[in-house]
Amino acid sequence: MKRLWIAWRVVVLIALRNLLSHRVKSLIVGSIMVFGTMLMVVGTSLLDSVEASMEKVVTSSLTGQLQIYSSQGRDELSLFGGLTASRPDIGEIEDFGELKRLVEPIENVKAIVPMGLSIATGTSGNDIDATLGELRAALEEGDARKIDALRERIIQQAGLIEDEYAYRKEISSDGERLERELEVLQRVQQQAFWDDFTQSSSERLLYLDTQLAPLLADGRLFFLRLLGTDPQLFKESFDRFEIDKGQMIPPNKRGVLISRRAHERFMKDKVARELDRIKRELELEGRDLATDEVLQGRARRLSRQYRRILYQLDPQETRVLGEKLRAELGSSEQDVAKLVEAFLLVDAQNFYERYAYFYAEVAPLIELYRVNVGDTVAIQSFTQRGYLKAMNVKIWGTFQFKGIEDSDLAGVVNITDMLTFRELYGKMTDTQRAELTALRDEVGAEAIARDDAEDALFGGSADLEDRGASAGESFDEFESVEVMERAQRKLRAGQLTYEQQEMDSGLALNAAVILEDPTQLARTKAQLERAIAARGLKLRVVDWQQAAGIVGQLIVVIRLVLYAAIFIIFLVALVIINNSMVMATMERVSEIGTMRAIGAQRSFVLVLFMLETLALGVIAGALGGLGGAVIIELCGHYGIPAFNEIVQFIFAGPYLYPHVTLKNVLLAAGVIFAVSIIATLYPAVIATRIQPVVAMRGKD
Amino acid sequence: MDPIVKIEDVTKEYPLGKVVVHALRGIDLSIGRGEFTTIAGPSGSGKTTLLNLIGCVDVPTRGEVKIAGQSTSALSDAELTHLRLRQLGFIFQSFNLVPVLDVFQNVEFPLLLQGDLSKKERAQRVREILERVGLSEQLTQRPNELSGGQRQRVAIARALVTRPAIVLADEPTANLDSVTGNTIIELMKELNANNQTTFIFSTHDPQVMRQATRVIRMVDGQIVHDGDGVEGVIEASDPGAASGEQE
Repeated sequence: MKRLWIAWRVVVLIALRNLLSHRVKSLIVGSIMVFGTMLMVVGTSLLDSVEASMEKVVTSSLTGQLQIYSSQGRDELSLFGGLTASRPDIGEIEDFGELKRLVEPIENVKAIVPMGLSIATGTSGNDIDATLGELRAALEEGDARKIDALRERIIQQAGLIEDEYAYRKEISSDGERLERELEVLQRVQQQAFWDDFTQSSSERLLYLDTQLAPLLADGRLFFLRLLGTDPQLFKESFDRFEIDKGQMIPPNKRGVLISRRAHERFMKDKVARELDRIKRELELEGRDLATDEVLQGRARRLSRQYRRILYQLDPQETRVLGEKLRAELGSSEQDVAKLVEAFLLVDAQNFYERYAYFYAEVAPLIELYRVNVGDTVAIQSFTQRGYLKAMNVKIWGTFQFKGIEDSDLAGVVNITDMLTFRELYGKMTDTQRAELTALRDEVGAEAIARDDAEDALFGGSADLEDRGASAGESFDEFESVEVMERAQRKLRAGQLTYEQQEMDSGLALNAAVILEDPTQLARTKAQLERAIAARGLKLRVVDWQQAAGIVGQLIVVIRLVLYAAIFIIFLVALVIINNSMVMATMERVSEIGTMRAIGAQRSFVLVLFMLETLALGVIAGALGGLGGAVIIELCGHYGIPAFNEIVQFIFAGPYLYPHVTLKNVLLAAGVIFAVSIIATLYPAVIATRIQPVVAMRGKD
Repeated sequence: MDPIVKIEDVTKEYPLGKVVVHALRGIDLSIGRGEFTTIAGPSGSGKTTLLNLIGCVDVPTRGEVKIAGQSTSALSDAELTHLRLRQLGFIFQSFNLVPVLDVFQNVEFPLLLQGDLSKKERAQRVREILERVGLSEQLTQRPNELSGGQRQRVAIARALVTRPAIVLADEPTANLDSVTGNTIIELMKELNANNQTTFIFSTHDPQVMRQATRVIRMVDGQIVHDGDGVEGVIEASDPGAASGEQE
């Protein structure tokens, strides 16, 4: 070894000069190595950056660093949605209060936030429903002018529907039904129907509700992924959370906050939504309305939506809009429907102008959102046991997460209080339970075991029978139920309150744990697990990546694909390096034999060969590492745009700003080193087997 | 004085396909320090095998080869390599210089392998020997920039730079023209005379043979002549000798 050390200079010299004298070979092998290293640095840096930005989105919007949930459920927690469409069974945390008291004192725990996810649907009714709602309000207030305007609007709506039904009649086989429906439409448009409207308003409203409204089968159903939580605590714990419109749910009040994204994408007027979507695709994906056929198709379909606007206008508003559009379009068309249709037919030249005009002039005339901040809406959800539970909730506002406003991920849930969640989930509150007990006592209901049912009903003691009979005499199921007016019910929804004690104790499905120092995640996780096990709770602790569900797994999948690609590239490099080194060995048999004859040991030959590839590896690794780092840092400086919504989803925002770490470079260098060594091992061993006697043979 | 090479009843057999080639059949030989010996013989006579055994790049099937008093039969590959490095110098028919090293580095190479001398000592030794072979001006040239004669001089310098006990040369002049060949042999002879280094070389060339102080002639793996003159060695029955055919 000592001699080898003295000889190292000549070994390095020979190795380097050999590399230079086989330029083409070195260049090819070197290029593959440079490419492999570069790909690895770029790939792992990008992935780490994507993971970091996703971690930012995921942990700062929903999961926190850790999540605790039951170990008894059949499914795994997946807060951002999983592979199943149905609601996953993740078990229950029966007493969140107990968990909170257990977890809060643990070191590094900043907060524990109760959560529970429920999927609710709501319906906003169609345009006629909305108009009838306004009409009711006007009737209650006795506002004659408004009643007139709304009447005109209903007549206009009926007229528009009649036009559509006239077309339908031509192609329909069920002519009889259509005749009936056309009769309704014509009757509503006749003055006679409205003559004594204020006198018999409830009868007429019933007719409009049941006969006219269903003809416009366009009520909008919307889905809400509702995350029950402690809204105040949520706001404190997830500091990127901010109110966009409206206000925060006030302390101890119940209600819902809708994510800005859900509000914009699912609850906005369809025409506005389509315009937004075209704009987004033009800007974000860099598509061109002049050439993109898909986009042109969408623009054409948009123009056919003109009725959606007209349905919402009364005749006065229709006239105003007609005049405006004639001026805007420079047209003399008298039919407002045709004007709106022409206005909505956007193309590459006029899109931005029309878009701006729509929001400035048209949008104020229509109802831009089906659900507005401050509204109380009816939502329904299937409880855990499968019953349908409906309730009124107040929409206090919309929210978003700072810095990741455009992320699909961050807009995936809406927020409500834990009590609303528990109700939708089918869990009764203490108040409700007390109410039920009172009701049972009142009607004399008692729990009877299944086996004793027959006896109790027909057996010796006629007690139950008697009581049933006496209760039946005067039983009216609505007798003691106070039926509230619609407006009162809605008002009540916004005024429901709760005590913090109610929020903290009771059911949750999962809980987010926010850490003081996120880098200590593994240690705190272990501490939590020990504490939970010691208390005998059947709960498990998972990190954010697991808790996120499919999103967390996406990263794993991308990582696997990248590693597979890198593996293949390095495998190819390995084969090529190995091959060319074997060839080089064959060419240099005489040279190696001479060295051996002169007195070079086998180890010298081994080192010589290894060093040649390693030198190439070092140079290629350095170049590739540097190249990769430069590419990443350039991307980090300018930002990689997310060119469509899927990429935007992965980037967790419109741009990705990647950065390279020493770890990325060292990892790539390490891999290229390993590949060099493995690739050279076989030819190097062949070289050491060359006998010195070959040098004695008189040949070149 | 002890012989530097002592060969006792040495037999060397190779398998060649299914037959066994008897390259050497019971040879006895001893060569003293400072001899300038040539080994002659037709192709297949076993002279290269004999040189390989003396050069410690091969070991005998039976019998004993002693180099500077050390028997080679029981030595491992590493020990044989060590012996070559310390006791032997090689001059090859095709020069066998390391193509990527310059003249100085080629000559320095065995000194680096030995690892005994300081950088300064090595440089001095290399310059000295290169001056002796007349290549002081070509220190930084690569082998492919040199003529055949110059290359062989580099090879001689490389063989002698470690001051070995024995220098082995297998057909050292075969790839050179006769004038150059002669000057190379003269150089070898001069070095032999000055340093008391033992030279053992094989050749077909009668001109070269005449320079030797001892001529060993082999036929069919046996020594048929061992004398101090060339007379009676070059015979018409040796076709290889006249034509200078290579083995």
